[in-house]
Amino acid sequence: MRLNLENFTKCFDGTPVIEGLNLTVEDGEMLALLGPSGCGKSTTLLSVCGIYRADGGRILFGGRDVSALPSQRRNVGVVFQNYALYPHLTVEENIAFPLTVQKPRPSAAEIARQVREIAELIHIDALLGRRPAQLSGGQQQRVALARALVRKPDVLLLDEPLANLDAKLRLEMRSEIRRIQLETGITAILVTHDQVEAMSMCDRVAIMDKGEILQIDSPTQMYRSPANRFVAGFLGNPPITFLEGRTGPEGRFSMEAGLTLPLPSHLRGMPSGRPIALGLRPEHFGHGGQGQATGRVTFVEPQGREMLFDVQAAPGVTLRSIQPTRDDVSIGDEVTWKVDADRMLAFDAEGRRL
Amino acid sequence: MTRNFALFPLMVVITLISLPLMVMYGFLILDTVTDAPPGALWPDEFTLRHWRFLWDMSAAGNVWKATLNTAVLALSMVAVVVPVSSLAGYAIARLNLPYRRFFLGGILVMHAFPAVTLLIGVFFVLKFAGLYNTMIGVILVKGALMLPFGIWIMKGFYDAVPWEIEMAGVQDGASRLTVFRRLILPQVKPGLVALSVFAFLDGWGEYLLPRVLAPGSDMTVMSVLLNGLIAGDDIGYDFNLFKAVGVFYTLPVIALFAIFQNRLMTIFGGGTKG
Amino acid sequence: MSSFADPIVDGARRARPVRPRRAPVSRLGLILMAPALLLLTLFFFLPVALTGVFAFTDLSTSTGIGRGDYVVTPTLLRQLGDKGLSDTDAEAVARSSVTVDAAGLARARAAGVDDRFLDEIERRFMGRDYEAPAGFVRDLRGLRTAPRRPRDLKSAAALFETSVLNQRFATSQALAAQLEAMAPEIAPAVRARIVEASFTGARFTTENFRTLATQKETARLVGNTFLYVGATLSLFNVGLGLFLAVVLFYMPKGASSLFSTLWLLPRITPVVLYAVMWKWFTWEGGFLPILADQVGLPSFNYMKGSVVTAWATMITLNGFIGASFGLILFSGALRAIPLQQLWASEVDGASRWQQVRRIILPQMRWPILFVTAYQTLSLLSSYEQIWLTTNGGPGRTTSVWALEAFKTALSNYTGNLEYGMGAAMALVLVVVGLALSLIYLRLFKFSELVGRPKIEI
Repeated sequence: MRLNLENFTKCFDGTPVIEGLNLTVEDGEMLALLGPSGCGKSTTLLSVCGIYRADGGRILFGGRDVSALPSQRRNVGVVFQNYALYPHLTVEENIAFPLTVQKPRPSAAEIARQVREIAELIHIDALLGRRPAQLSGGQQQRVALARALVRKPDVLLLDEPLANLDAKLRLEMRSEIRRIQLETGITAILVTHDQVEAMSMCDRVAIMDKGEILQIDSPTQMYRSPANRFVAGFLGNPPITFLEGRTGPEGRFSMEAGLTLPLPSHLRGMPSGRPIALGLRPEHFGHGGQGQATGRVTFVEPQGREMLFDVQAAPGVTLRSIQPTRDDVSIGDEVTWKVDADRMLAFDAEGRRL
Repeated sequence: MTRNFALFPLMVVITLISLPLMVMYGFLILDTVTDAPPGALWPDEFTLRHWRFLWDMSAAGNVWKATLNTAVLALSMVAVVVPVSSLAGYAIARLNLPYRRFFLGGILVMHAFPAVTLLIGVFFVLKFAGLYNTMIGVILVKGALMLPFGIWIMKGFYDAVPWEIEMAGVQDGASRLTVFRRLILPQVKPGLVALSVFAFLDGWGEYLLPRVLAPGSDMTVMSVLLNGLIAGDDIGYDFNLFKAVGVFYTLPVIALFAIFQNRLMTIFGGGTKG
Repeated sequence: MSSFADPIVDGARRARPVRPRRAPVSRLGLILMAPALLLLTLFFFLPVALTGVFAFTDLSTSTGIGRGDYVVTPTLLRQLGDKGLSDTDAEAVARSSVTVDAAGLARARAAGVDDRFLDEIERRFMGRDYEAPAGFVRDLRGLRTAPRRPRDLKSAAALFETSVLNQRFATSQALAAQLEAMAPEIAPAVRARIVEASFTGARFTTENFRTLATQKETARLVGNTFLYVGATLSLFNVGLGLFLAVVLFYMPKGASSLFSTLWLLPRITPVVLYAVMWKWFTWEGGFLPILADQVGLPSFNYMKGSVVTAWATMITLNGFIGASFGLILFSGALRAIPLQQLWASEVDGASRWQQVRRIILPQMRWPILFVTAYQTLSLLSSYEQIWLTTNGGPGRTTSVWALEAFKTALSNYTGNLEYGMGAAMALVLVVVGLALSLIYLRLFKFSELVGRPKIEI
């Protein structure tokens, strides 16, 4: 079911924390709300499910305005970060709970059938007799998912669902959740602060900061072509390096500290003297290109398959490079590596992409 | 605990300080089954005659009826305090009440406020309501005076239940009442048990209210009966009899305390988070 | 979330100011609160209000609780005479006259006077008035059916007398009218004063507070109360509580829980039994006096025998109950101190005393403040234990404010319960209690406790 937020506004104590937000999630799509903590993504999620009331604008499910409806009548499934399983009920009773409060209440046989069906989909049919305290984190996560899905909601909301899992389980559940979402074809919103999660699980990613959506795009497109400096800085690990400087003559960029680099080719015509910032991702330093930078290696971080180098190219200016593991460079060496100037991202003083 | 310091001096000091209590409680038990010659500290003979009040109603009055009455009072306290506190505690902890701040502040002030100073006012309310000299009046008053405490305790227990449980319940389509009944109440069972035991003990030990608010009631409770035995400045008290009646009266308290000690500890601190 | 200075703004965002919707009132919440509110109103707020109202009345057993009547008694006349009522006026009020009317006949018939006699009175004297009873008696003696015995005759005659004295009037107007009819020569102002003074019900007055402010007893009660609260609190609730908590903190688990249970016993023991135990412990023939006798110390009833021992007994027996509150709270606070801090100090070579003084006590400041605030309130108003043990004795040397208020209003042996005065004394406690509990509220970090409900529906 298609989900729209139109001019959505939310206040706390009279102060708007989200103002005039617009968002569309297509039918069957999985969209990530990605942003740092406090950016308003959880507030948006809780407003969609009806825990919070919208203070302005509309929330539409398949074109139907649900803003005034209480949670109970919105037919939304939610998976919370701490799973919020009912500790005094067995797994089976947990999953059956949404069905038992339906009016009219389905027959016991019908409830049992639906619980079994969803449990099979989510691969927890062997756990039905246990209590939440007897389950591992990943199993609890699955039960929470089953409980959210059992009454066939129009929309599935996932609030940091993987944050409480250890690294290995997180990897497994990432693909599990995506599989289940694809199998059921449900419209889903994933709230997360983890870019890898957002990019690997979702069709599209919406980046939020300070109560607004900065950009919505497919993960690849967003990484390649961020709309502004915040998005560029938020995506990418290790993160992008920003270089503050001015445009110079002959399509060059120079920093006060002394480093000069060629501008990306589409900006070569810019008048000189403009303050701009260039963003250089680690994979575009040391891999070829027209520019080059020389400096001393100040730090080497082996990561197994790859290595991360910090190169001090000028006083106070550290460039970062990620390269396949090599043994010929160590701390203190002076290196001259290529800079792929055309792949650098340029931002004006307001942070807008140029 | 840290082991770097000597233990022995501490043991001596604390034993000395606790000596009065040890003596009082030690002899409380000892004296019920022994007799001592006048002017002697130590008993010299074993006897069960101090317990004759159990079958001989002339010794201390009808203790069985008084025990029953005390149990009725104590159980009524549970019946009033626990449901009312658990409902109000939930409302105040979790629901959008108008003037919620005011309610919370009021409960907290009342929790600290010494309710016995209101006894004179309460006396008049009961007179006007026609409940003076009735056990129902005593139960209602005692229950009401305990409510701020009960509500505060229950609020603490509700606060400890994660909000997400409640959100999940609402999201699953349940009304707030259903959520409260089926999801939240089962989580605060320890609180309900602790508050029940506490209310029972409080009702069981109560002396002032039945004595003052229902002096003419035919429902004599154990505390009033026991104090009636001692009343008057007679010389030559039968302390052994008093103690035997007292121990009989206190047995349920000790039993409940022994069973629920850990749960009660939080409550004896006044429901404070310290 | 307050700053919104974000340079990367897409533009079309500054729309009209948003009027936040108020979260809807939870009707369920009100329903769930209702029983508690009802009980609290009846037995908490109403008593507070009544205490406030009755504090300004002279309500007592003699005035009664219901509506009062207007009655002029000889006693009242004597009192008024002391306050300047002239003897002639007093006599005029006390005057009685004789009227032969239907009412008088009915009274006489009801009292069993011979019917034939009454019939004759009716026939002969109906409607006649006599200034003085003597004339009527003389006339009656002349009747044929008159009783032989002079006493019977006199008592029959008395039934026709009417007087204002000892008659109950429901309203002041009724009494005034009667007075005017009987003694028209009394000046209206004097009459009004008599009527006013004859009211038997409770009156509004500030007399209670004037009495409290002037009588010498007040100063002693206040002093006793301060001594009792201060000594119990500092020596036991805080002092002993802290001491026990620290000592038990250093003891092995088994011994520690044994002693903390022992110290909890006074709190869970029913108060009446606790009082019995202390009586046994301190009265003549009890434990301490026998012990004192055996080692040659003065032996007497320590609970009531002398002022000093009575105070010591009273403070100790209350303190033993209070110590457990401090013990529980301080123990909790002690457990919250990271053990690493203590280990570190031990490695640094601190003695136990240094450890307690430098590391533990500074972290106990808040709990101590809390226990002090909380227990001041309960000690200030507690009188049950005192009532059951020393009962303020010997004499009234150990009586405290709360006990005296209680006795004045609800429990004294003279039988005249001064509700108004007791309420006035209680009102003082209510005001002090409210003030202290507001302070206590601030200590509690109230604002942290009123987090907003997270579900807005």
